[in-house]
Amino acid sequence: MIQLSQITKRFPGIIANDAVDLTVRPGEIHALLGENGAGKSTLMQILYGFHAMDSGQILLDGQRVSITSPADAIALGIGMVHQDFMLVPTFTVAENTILGLREGTGAMLNLKRAASRIRELSEQHHLAVDPNAITGTLPVGVQQRVEILKLLYRDARVLILDEPTAVLTAPEKYRLFTVLRGLRAQGRSILIVTHKLHEIMELADRVTVMRDGRNVASVAVEDTSGPELARLMVGRDVNLSVSKLEVPPGPSILSVKRLSVRDHAGQRKLKDISLELHPHEILGIAGVDGNGQSELAQALLGLRTIEGGSILLNGRDITEARVAERRALGLAYVPADRRNVGSVADLSIADNAMLTQPRSNTRHSLFNKTLIRARAQTIITRFGVRGANDETHASKLSGGNLQKVILGREIMSAPKVLVVEQPTRGLDVGAIESIWAELLRERAKGTAILLVSAELEELLNLADRIAVMYEGRIVGVVDPASATAEQLGMMMAGTPLEPTGVSS
Amino acid sequence: MSVFSQAFLVTWLTAGIRLGGPVLLAALGETFAERSGILNLGIEGILLLGALASYLTSIHTGSLWLPLFAAMLTGFAAALFLAWMYVTVRASQVVVGLVFNVLALGIAATVYRRTLAHASPGPIAMFQAVHIPWVSDLPIVGPTLFSQTLPLYLTLVLVVVAHFALFHTRFGLGLRAAGENPRAADAAGISVPRMRYLGTLISGAAAGLAGGYLVLAQIGLFRDSIVAGQGFIALGIVIFGRWSPWKAALAAMVFGTCDALQLSLQLLGTHLPEELLLSIPYVVTILAISGIFGGRDVRPAALAVPYAKEA
Repeated sequence: MIQLSQITKRFPGIIANDAVDLTVRPGEIHALLGENGAGKSTLMQILYGFHAMDSGQILLDGQRVSITSPADAIALGIGMVHQDFMLVPTFTVAENTILGLREGTGAMLNLKRAASRIRELSEQHHLAVDPNAITGTLPVGVQQRVEILKLLYRDARVLILDEPTAVLTAPEKYRLFTVLRGLRAQGRSILIVTHKLHEIMELADRVTVMRDGRNVASVAVEDTSGPELARLMVGRDVNLSVSKLEVPPGPSILSVKRLSVRDHAGQRKLKDISLELHPHEILGIAGVDGNGQSELAQALLGLRTIEGGSILLNGRDITEARVAERRALGLAYVPADRRNVGSVADLSIADNAMLTQPRSNTRHSLFNKTLIRARAQTIITRFGVRGANDETHASKLSGGNLQKVILGREIMSAPKVLVVEQPTRGLDVGAIESIWAELLRERAKGTAILLVSAELEELLNLADRIAVMYEGRIVGVVDPASATAEQLGMMMAGTPLEPTGVSS
Repeated sequence: MSVFSQAFLVTWLTAGIRLGGPVLLAALGETFAERSGILNLGIEGILLLGALASYLTSIHTGSLWLPLFAAMLTGFAAALFLAWMYVTVRASQVVVGLVFNVLALGIAATVYRRTLAHASPGPIAMFQAVHIPWVSDLPIVGPTLFSQTLPLYLTLVLVVVAHFALFHTRFGLGLRAAGENPRAADAAGISVPRMRYLGTLISGAAAGLAGGYLVLAQIGLFRDSIVAGQGFIALGIVIFGRWSPWKAALAAMVFGTCDALQLSLQLLGTHLPEELLLSIPYVVTILAISGIFGGRDVRPAALAVPYAKEA
């Protein structure tokens, strides 16, 4: 049994953990729930020795232990699967597995013995993996298996998994849950950090909810409900049910014809993509990551060299136009990578807010600071960016707040067509609620929205039509009112369905 | 004498392997630094300091092995300073390395002028070619490979040792992890700073040793222009050799034979200007470093990126 008692950790300006208690029993799957910035990750990093706590103590089976480095944690049987995997891509699975271990005789590596032990473990736990494969070439789901095997190889009794399903497809997710249930049956303690409520209800035995660095509740899952957990996490009632205005679509504003794009390696990423987008419409783009969705968004914005086909915006051919020209014509973009593409980490909110249209913030060719600050202020108040002012650096914002700044900036440019990629990836329900509301408000105003998302729930809730991409092609367009998640899942895996008659 | 005669070939290859020795030794050490994530550009300066230390020790002791040891120790000490800058201070590795080379040149020139410029020390004891019985009588490989000096044999042994250490020991696995994904190494319980200190110290010791090798087995005297960019060539060899000791050995031989070729061509009296010939090895190095022969894909992913643990 592992007990965290009165853990407190301060960072400059904030208390990340404020006297947090947490107990995880053997043979238990314990979920740690909280919004981004609630202090879950900090708490787990303290338990794994990445951060030093300011006060508090950690007890393992009643004994007080000191964990000052990952090596200490590993020695005590505590293992962690980080959200961004801690694997060396150029190493084989076996090399990654024994990295940092002090076992066997002397200084030599015994990769053969490691490989056979990995095979044993992967059979025993149904975690199929080839010990001699180069890790970087494996799909994300398999890399996660390698991370779990690493912990089992060390015979970890406490397994911490940070947002383990964020990168998985639905079938991979169910396989992971099966594995975790098997580990629970062996009496291991599993701590799973997440903000997905339905996963907790499905998998966990108990759940601890954190908000603003504090433990606000530790309850058995059977004694609680999804809405109650959401309320505990956010601190108010959350409403994710979406009501959409029915608006008759007008003539198309964005028209893409037989678009083809290759990547740097010469691989074709888009093959003959044709689509029409209308005002008052959200066109959802579904697909497993890497099937051309990002390339489509980038090609529309002018970030990719176009090999063939054409793009018409409001009747004008913009196939060859530069990014600034496209933006001036009414195109706006919220990229998937909000930290590195959507914003500049070391610039303030004010500077980030004017990045996409610097010209409109000048007077006599010089920047008008008053205007820039006022604009940033508007974004902060109108879109509800919390705990920040116009001088706050983008790097200091949580994912949700940063996304509000980026979406706000794009909406303030009054776009005709808004291209949005993964708008709520990694965000908590509170932030998802407000991003969804903003997108629907834009739709009501008449903006045409292209919504690329890996979250089927998001597409089914927001989109008027959903186009499914597979290997660079649109394999079908469906009506969300009649489509099911299973149907979409089949299409995303490459099984084409008959279009349901709403494609244009 | 024709370019194609066997005598020319043997002379050329022997000289090639001989000239490639010190750069290979320095490149082997640099491979450890770079595999750990440290780009140690300071090896050019360390070669010079090693050469100076070995020359001074040689004059004062007349010994053969003691100067070599002094060169290694000097390189080690210089690398301790560099490692502190690279790893503890987390300064820019490129800037520190380059400025260190200028500093080393200043130190070497000053010490040389203060102590030796007006004295005229006699010839120093040098390593002579050692003919390995039986195999040195073989045609072509005998004279080229088995009639070399002890430092060259030592360097060849170190190629095997370096390969083994990097790819077959726990230390090598940890070192490579620190250079590829330091956060993963950290999470696995490996001390990234320790690995990077060790990598830098190994590169310093090897570069110091290579400086001593240059003086004691090849040149026999000291000038502050003695290194002439061989440290930078070693950096090129590491890239050309894809961060692998075996391939670095091959790359060093290519460099050495280019260098020997320009010497031989000068002796043969071609119509090409001498400066053009002299530049051949350097041009080859620049091409190698530029990555046009490939190699960018196998570069350690965290090379020259300082690593800071979270608070």
